[in-house]
Amino acid sequence: MKFAAVVTLVVTLFAGAAGAENVSKPIPIGIAVAQTSNVALFGQEQMNGAKVAEKYFNISGINGTPIKLISQDTGGDEAGAINAFQNLVSKEKVVGIVGPTLSQQAFAADPVANRLKVPVIAPSNTAKGIPQIGEFVGRVSAPVAKVAPFAVTQALKLNPAIKRVAILYAQNDAFCSSETTIFQQAVKRQKLEIATLQKFMTTDTDFTTQATAVLRAKADLVIISGLAADGGNLVKQLRQLGYKGTIIGGNGFNTTNVFPVCGKNCEGILVAQAYSPLAQNPLNKAFVDEYRRTFIKDPPQFAAQSFTAIQLIVEGLRKVEIATKKKITQLDLATVRVELNKALRKGSYMTPLGEISLDAEGDINQHSFYVSKIKMDISGKVGVFAIVSVVK
Amino acid sequence: MEGFLQNYGFLLVTLLQQSLLAFSLYFPLMAGQLSLASPGFYALGGYIAAIMSTAPECTPLREKLGTGIYPLEWLAAGLISGVLALVIGISALRLRGIYLALATIAFVEILRVICLNLEITGGAIGIFDIPQLFAERWSYGLIFGPLLLLTLLFVYRLENSRTGRALKAIREDELAAGAMGIHTTYYKVLAFVIGAVLAGIVGAMSAPFLNTWNARQGTFDASISYLAYVLIGGSRSMWGPLLGAVLLASLPELLRPLKDARLIINGMVLVVASIYLPQGIVGALGRLKRCVVKNTSPMGGER
Amino acid sequence: MYTGEYLQNILNGISIGSVYAIFALGYTLVFSILGIINFAHGAVFTLGAYLTYSLAVGHFGIGGLLADMQVPFRLSFPLSLLLGSLLSGVFGVLIERCAFRPLRLRGADPLLALVSSLGVALVTINVIQYLVGSEIYSFPSEVYGDIRPAFTFQRGDTTIVLRTVQLIIFAVNMTVLVLLRYLISCTRVGKALRAVAENSSTASLLGINVDRFILYTFFLSGFLGGMAGGLVGTSFGIAGPYFGVSYGLKGLAVIVLGGLGSIPGAVLGGMVIGLAEAFVPSDYSAYKEAVAFAYLFTMLLICPRGLLGRATIEKV
Repeated sequence: MKFAAVVTLVVTLFAGAAGAENVSKPIPIGIAVAQTSNVALFGQEQMNGAKVAEKYFNISGINGTPIKLISQDTGGDEAGAINAFQNLVSKEKVVGIVGPTLSQQAFAADPVANRLKVPVIAPSNTAKGIPQIGEFVGRVSAPVAKVAPFAVTQALKLNPAIKRVAILYAQNDAFCSSETTIFQQAVKRQKLEIATLQKFMTTDTDFTTQATAVLRAKADLVIISGLAADGGNLVKQLRQLGYKGTIIGGNGFNTTNVFPVCGKNCEGILVAQAYSPLAQNPLNKAFVDEYRRTFIKDPPQFAAQSFTAIQLIVEGLRKVEIATKKKITQLDLATVRVELNKALRKGSYMTPLGEISLDAEGDINQHSFYVSKIKMDISGKVGVFAIVSVVK
Repeated sequence: MEGFLQNYGFLLVTLLQQSLLAFSLYFPLMAGQLSLASPGFYALGGYIAAIMSTAPECTPLREKLGTGIYPLEWLAAGLISGVLALVIGISALRLRGIYLALATIAFVEILRVICLNLEITGGAIGIFDIPQLFAERWSYGLIFGPLLLLTLLFVYRLENSRTGRALKAIREDELAAGAMGIHTTYYKVLAFVIGAVLAGIVGAMSAPFLNTWNARQGTFDASISYLAYVLIGGSRSMWGPLLGAVLLASLPELLRPLKDARLIINGMVLVVASIYLPQGIVGALGRLKRCVVKNTSPMGGER
Repeated sequence: MYTGEYLQNILNGISIGSVYAIFALGYTLVFSILGIINFAHGAVFTLGAYLTYSLAVGHFGIGGLLADMQVPFRLSFPLSLLLGSLLSGVFGVLIERCAFRPLRLRGADPLLALVSSLGVALVTINVIQYLVGSEIYSFPSEVYGDIRPAFTFQRGDTTIVLRTVQLIIFAVNMTVLVLLRYLISCTRVGKALRAVAENSSTASLLGINVDRFILYTFFLSGFLGGMAGGLVGTSFGIAGPYFGVSYGLKGLAVIVLGGLGSIPGAVLGGMVIGLAEAFVPSDYSAYKEAVAFAYLFTMLLICPRGLLGRATIEKV
């Protein structure tokens, strides 16, 4: 009885079922990232990048038709991601979805979109197996296999005397724990000795144990796979306790968020980057300018990747119009979704991440990566990632 | 109907699943024991199913059984959870009140850290691409639904049985129940184990439902959500956990239009509901009914 | 393990242990009076950190409603910490009024207080997120004034390094503990608090306004929680609105270990867990997170009263 009442309530609240219908105008593009929960830091950066993209691409729209960003909060869990995807697909009738924030959420939510034949572009899912979820799933976030080893060679170039390496990583973070294995292989390949291997949690704040262990191991290179808050703290505590050697930060360090955390102590960290605000290409310049205007700071990698994801969908839609010789709004939704997915995998795109393309599976082919060195200003509050070398 | 199930099937099945988890906390509470261990057993059950479905070592078994592997997973998850609960229960159920709750919180946290570290559980990323029992999300209602019906039937029978009366006696006054010759430890452990077995089975069913399983599935937050389901639904009636879970678990989804503020409202609802529904929704409905029957003001004061 | 390493671990352990101690004291004070755990205590910790930040640095980031807002004044760090903690204390009183008192007056199931306090925590954390976003906020190193970041002690082969922050945390916490000890053992308020904790109905028969002392307790609890948050925030930065959660859970382990409701117990428990974590060998550092709970679990099985708890016959 009561259950039936609740069901009726739910029905009346979200009435409506999908039939053959046209794409509405402005063209709805879904973004489902974490705006609440403890991963909201990344989700909010992704949201910012997407908002800049919406503004930028609406200057010309899809050959004149404007786009509209529709956001649904995924929270930090799997069920939240599935619900957000369902909402975007069935209620908001979006042509494609950008999201979710975590790889774990993608494994839960992407199959739902895939079954409903809605293209998904993941802005930040780097785990193995994401593009293989299905034919409608793609990503613009490169796995780090390429750039991490290069950071190690770069460190050796700057200081050939390096012998003993300390490796630290956040073991509760999927990205960091896969990144560290790549770093470890690179270190072994360079015939360096791993003097100590330390794990921590992204939620940790006190790293005295790890830092003193590094000092005791007499390491002259420290490689950290962590995120901004924990990684930055680790660097700060290492430096305060007197560690003088080189520090390499993984891709998690590629955000201006680390500057307030380690302040002056950020100076000199080598960072493996999948995106650099300094990258030379016209679109990146436009993106960085617009981002600075709105948010007063340089765009972080998460923002650049979600911008890129929206860009792919926009350009994909333009290609669909060319191929079908019809306006998107004259086509029915299901056709647009399928055609868009096909178009996404064709050709290459000039994006803030450099020139990229999606392969048949939907995985990204990214050509430029960067190794940068953090330079802090005198106040110790503002810093830049100065490019040391570009990996092509 | 097809379109409706397509859109809201996942949410509806989630509600069934959350109701089942509310019951896994309700069983120990029938004997007055506050156990927050359910998310631990839920996570454990999910891992067992995920490993049996994906590990290469289990391939021959999967090939031999076909879809028969799924019931086997449920059985294994229930059995292992039950045995573990027996071990923990015998040692921890000497503890009372908040102490038991804290011990079970510790159990959940320890299990979470272990799962985060083991290779077989996939570390931080967990286990993904779990083979599906059904293609559509809503179809999972076909396993959660019957399990919920069975559970309801079981609770109904239990409450009117000798065991149920023993549990109730322990809940009202453990010392007195012991003095009357009720073997309190036996019944307390029994209730705890039943709850754990249920949570384990639900976990095993949920692994393919979510398609992925990781250490974030069983957390302290989940423990408190289940507790909220039971208490706000009404902890003294079998309809309480069901009603509480359905309402509270759908709340964040109903509040979606509020965007960023939805979790703020969700928290406020918890506070207001605890204050104004001290007997839970079922208790309040009961009182309302009595009031109406007596033909007095239904808004009548509460003592 | 040689002496230097041993000593280093002890110092590290005591420093972080003292934070656990004053944080857990907030839990234990409320428990000693109401016999209830206040699940919103972790949120108070978070709030304390944000308040201290607002008063001492006061520049917010790009997220949330208060994006890019500047607080028009700056206070010195000791003053901000004190004021931040006092405001957290006031928040503690608010929690009591919203989430505990109404339940007490209605004689509701004590378990409901767990749900309502968790509701308050959910609201607090999400309001913070709504207002200032989930960015990382960090105190510039100048907040402590012009002192060096670390001290090195060396004798022969043995080197011990200590971050100044660790010393400050330790010194502040010890001062607070001594003051609290004085308040509770030597003043009339403290005596009354102890009487209420012992037996609230007897205390009320003796003419003590129990309701008022419950408020005092929540104020103290909020003050201590806020101060712990402020200290952790200054030394490690604020990693977003959820950063109090792990302290909230660990605090539970601390109070059980020391003995629920025992004040010296909470201090001892904090130290024991801080030390235990510092001595986890680096190869097993992944399991550090579980150490506190392993202690909690074992303690409950061996001796549920905790290290310094009293034997009581409890009825649920």
